[in-house]
Amino acid sequence: MDSTTQTLAILIFLLTMVVSIVVTQFLRRRRAFITLREVPAYALLPLRIGEAIEASRPIHMSFGSSGLGGENTLLTLAGAELFYQVARRAAISPTAPIITLSDPSTLAVAQDTLRRAYTAANFPERFRATSARWYPAGPRSLVFAAALTGMMGDNDVSAHVLVGSFGTELALIAGAAARRGQPVIAASDQLQGQAVAFAMSESALIGEEIFAAGAYLGESNSQVASIFALDVLRWLLILFILVPTLLTVVSEITRRSASGG
Amino acid sequence: MRLRLLRALATAITISLGTIVFLGLIFGDSSGDGAGLLPGIVRGLGFVQLTNLLLQLTVITIALTVLIGVWNLVMVHFGRVTARRGGWFYSLVALLSFLLVIGLTLAERANILTTAPGERSASMILLETVQISIESALAGLLLFALVYGAARLMHRRVTWWGVLFTAAMLLILLGALPLDSVGGLAQIQRWLLAVPVSAGARGILLGIALATIVTGVRVLIGQDRSYRE
Repeated sequence: MDSTTQTLAILIFLLTMVVSIVVTQFLRRRRAFITLREVPAYALLPLRIGEAIEASRPIHMSFGSSGLGGENTLLTLAGAELFYQVARRAAISPTAPIITLSDPSTLAVAQDTLRRAYTAANFPERFRATSARWYPAGPRSLVFAAALTGMMGDNDVSAHVLVGSFGTELALIAGAAARRGQPVIAASDQLQGQAVAFAMSESALIGEEIFAAGAYLGESNSQVASIFALDVLRWLLILFILVPTLLTVVSEITRRSASGG
Repeated sequence: MRLRLLRALATAITISLGTIVFLGLIFGDSSGDGAGLLPGIVRGLGFVQLTNLLLQLTVITIALTVLIGVWNLVMVHFGRVTARRGGWFYSLVALLSFLLVIGLTLAERANILTTAPGERSASMILLETVQISIESALAGLLLFALVYGAARLMHRRVTWWGVLFTAAMLLILLGALPLDSVGGLAQIQRWLLAVPVSAGARGILLGIALATIVTGVRVLIGQDRSYRE
């Protein structure tokens, strides 16, 4: 890593840290300082959880092939936050939510997510470690998709929240869910999976929306502050792209007019 | 009180080890010029060696999680068989297959089941005839699932985004046809893939990258609560 990249990495880290801490403190005094735009998938989730509780059927959540220790470690943590919020609300149902995954490193995260959700909802005795299930998958994850299509029928699932790393095999899962009348909310960090999620799910989360679950479904100020920090980084990135482009265009126009004159 | 202490300890461990690994990864690379105060401190304190050790420990721990996964798989299916829940017969087949493969592999390792030179082992035959065949069949089904998904998009609700998605998809599929009469469409397809599709894909990936940075920083400064509860 060259020294410019090292400096930039440290600067981005410091900027994000300062914005997160300052905005968290500010939100403690003025909660209405930030208004979050509506994300249809997050607006739909409480409705789907309510339906599952009323019907006494489980909600199914899946990490896909995202795991710990690789490049999608933080996606796994973001998915865990979303699943925690869903499981905490669904914990009053006698039918436990199910979390599935194909990377074994995520199994501990999934079990801990369910345990924390039941503890937060004051039903720790309802937690079952086998509600988090590992389905081994080959490199293309098609076997994982096949296992989920079987599982959704056996367990009479009410709705699916598929947020993690999925490829085109998501089409098999969403297709089977549609045939059973089970709504799907999906998102993937893979572009093929994201395209399938947009076409086949009831409501799709796109890109960084996956990481905003805590801010939309939780009550923590720090999670709302992280959305603000994300916006600051986004605007800075836009400026870093636009300003050099405009400067190049202006200098090119000036050069041509000077040579033409 | 004890719980609070444990939470504080977990937070302290996460922040300190996270920061050490972060700094070790940034300044540990030998391609940097190595000058400056911070790189000198990081290397002088042995953060780079500690980072490598922690990463090795992580790799070993993750490798061991396969065993936990196998235990989970067996317990889930065993529970279904004993409770006679829906689909218990398939769980029984899964358990028997598991035992069969374990038995075959152990027999091969102990030279009870020998294979002639140049021949495939029994476990490999099982893998190639069962798993690969099933995966290939599913890959064939995937095409129909994708077509069904595209049809369902317009059937469920007609929105501008849905119309745009379907129109772009149809243009790209038609442009890919090896026919002279659709030569103009091939140009549109190339432009679509090179400009709007590429820009959109980069936008989504940049958004995910920025959100990943923010989530990582939240973990490093102790704002992520998942390991504290």
